[in-house]
Amino acid sequence: MSNGETGNKPAMRIALMAVLTAVVVVFTLLVRVPTPIKGYISLCDVVIVFSAYLFGPWVAAIAGGLGTGIADVIGGYAQWAPLSFLIHGLQGLLIAIIARSPVKGNVAADSPLIRLVIAGVVGMIVMAGGYYLAGGFLYGFEAALVEIPLNLMQSGVGVVLGIIVSRSVLKAYPPVRSLAL
Amino acid sequence: MTSGTFIAGRGMLYLFDARAKLLTVLALCVMVFLPLRPLGLWVLVAATVLGAWHATGLRQALQPLRAILFLLVIMILFTPLTYRDGSAVLRVGSFVLATREALENLNVLVARFMGITYLCTLFIWTTPMADINLAFRWYGLSYKAALVFTLAFRFIPSIAESFVMIQDSHALRTSEQQEISRGTVHLTDIVPTVTSALVVALKSIPYLAMSLEHRGLGRRERRTSYRRLVARGGLFTHFLLSVMIPTVFFLVFNTI
Repeated sequence: MSNGETGNKPAMRIALMAVLTAVVVVFTLLVRVPTPIKGYISLCDVVIVFSAYLFGPWVAAIAGGLGTGIADVIGGYAQWAPLSFLIHGLQGLLIAIIARSPVKGNVAADSPLIRLVIAGVVGMIVMAGGYYLAGGFLYGFEAALVEIPLNLMQSGVGVVLGIIVSRSVLKAYPPVRSLAL
Repeated sequence: MTSGTFIAGRGMLYLFDARAKLLTVLALCVMVFLPLRPLGLWVLVAATVLGAWHATGLRQALQPLRAILFLLVIMILFTPLTYRDGSAVLRVGSFVLATREALENLNVLVARFMGITYLCTLFIWTTPMADINLAFRWYGLSYKAALVFTLAFRFIPSIAESFVMIQDSHALRTSEQQEISRGTVHLTDIVPTVTSALVVALKSIPYLAMSLEHRGLGRRERRTSYRRLVARGGLFTHFLLSVMIPTVFFLVFNTI
C-alpha cells in the first residue's frame, strides 16, 4: 500500500474525485485573486486544469463539474449549478483529452508545453462560450456579452497557473503519479 | 467556511418531499421558457418570493435578489440598447433609448431570471443536502456517484481549514508593506500556497481510499447502504401535487 496504492481501483477513484471536488469548491469560494479593475477572480479553473493534466478526463470532468456546481449552491447562485456542472465538466473533460500524453505511463502534465496550452485554450473557449450561451438563455445574449472578458481572464489565469502548479506538484510530491489513473 | 445550504424555517415547503419538490422545480424551470404571458412569470416570481419570505423571513428572502442585482442592472442597461426593433417609447433627441418590443423582451427576461433564481434557491434552502442526494439517488444516481457527492461535502471544511493555515504560514514570510487579508491570494505567493494546499489534499486520498475499502467498497456485498426517504402522507400525494402545480400554472398562463 505504498505510494497511495490500495489495490482497490474504485475506492481510489472515488477518493480522488471526492477530494478534488472539495478542493474545487474551496478554491472557488475561498481563494480570490484581486484583478487590476478592483474585482476578484476565483481559482476554480486552476484545479480543473490541474486535475485534467494529472488525473485524466473523468476525474477532471467530475471534480470540475461537481465542484463548481456545489460552490454555486453554497455561494447562493443555485440557478447556475446545473449549468456550471455541464460547462466546467466539459471544460475538464476536453482539456484532459487534448492534453493526454501519447507516452504510456506518463501523465498529461509531461506532454509538450504547446499541447498543454492548446488544451487550455480549448478549455477557455468552452468555459467562456458555455457561460455566454447559458447566460444568453437565462437573461439575454446582450447582457451575457459583459461576462465574456472576465470569464476568459479567469480561465486564462487558470491555464497558466494550472500548468505551473501541476508541474510544481509533480516535483514537490512525486507519489502523485501513482494516484493518476 | 460553512458548506450547509439548508435554512431552518416554517411552512409547507419543508414538508414537501425532496423528490417531488425536485420534479416541481425542474418542471417550472422548463416552463418559464414556454410561451407564457408575462403576468404568469411575475405571478411565479411573486409566489416564490412570498414563499421564501414566509419560510425564512424577509431579510433572508431578499438575499437572492441582492446576489443577482448586478446582473439585473446590466440587463436593464444593455437589453434596450441592443434590441432595436419596434416602435420607439423612450428617446433622447433623435436617438431611440428603448422600443416597446425591447421593454417587453426585458420584462420577460427579468421575470424569467428572477423566477428561476428564486425557484432554485427555495429548493436549496428548504431541503437538507442529504435529502437532495437521496432524491437524486432515487432518480437513478449511482451508489458511487452519490458517495463522491457526500464525501466531497465531508472534506470541504477540512480542506478550507488547511488552506487557511497554509496561507497564514506563507503570510508570515511576506514583507510588512504587503497587505494581507484572509481569503485573498497575492500573485507573488499564489504558486507556493496553491501547491502546498494541493499536496496536503492529495496526501489524504490514499487514507480515504483505504477507509472506503474497509467499509466494503469494491466488494460484491457492500457494508453500507443509503437510507430511504419517507414522504409524509404518501409519495403519490406529493407527486400528484408536483404534477398539478406546473400543469395548472401552464393552463392558466399559456399563450397558445
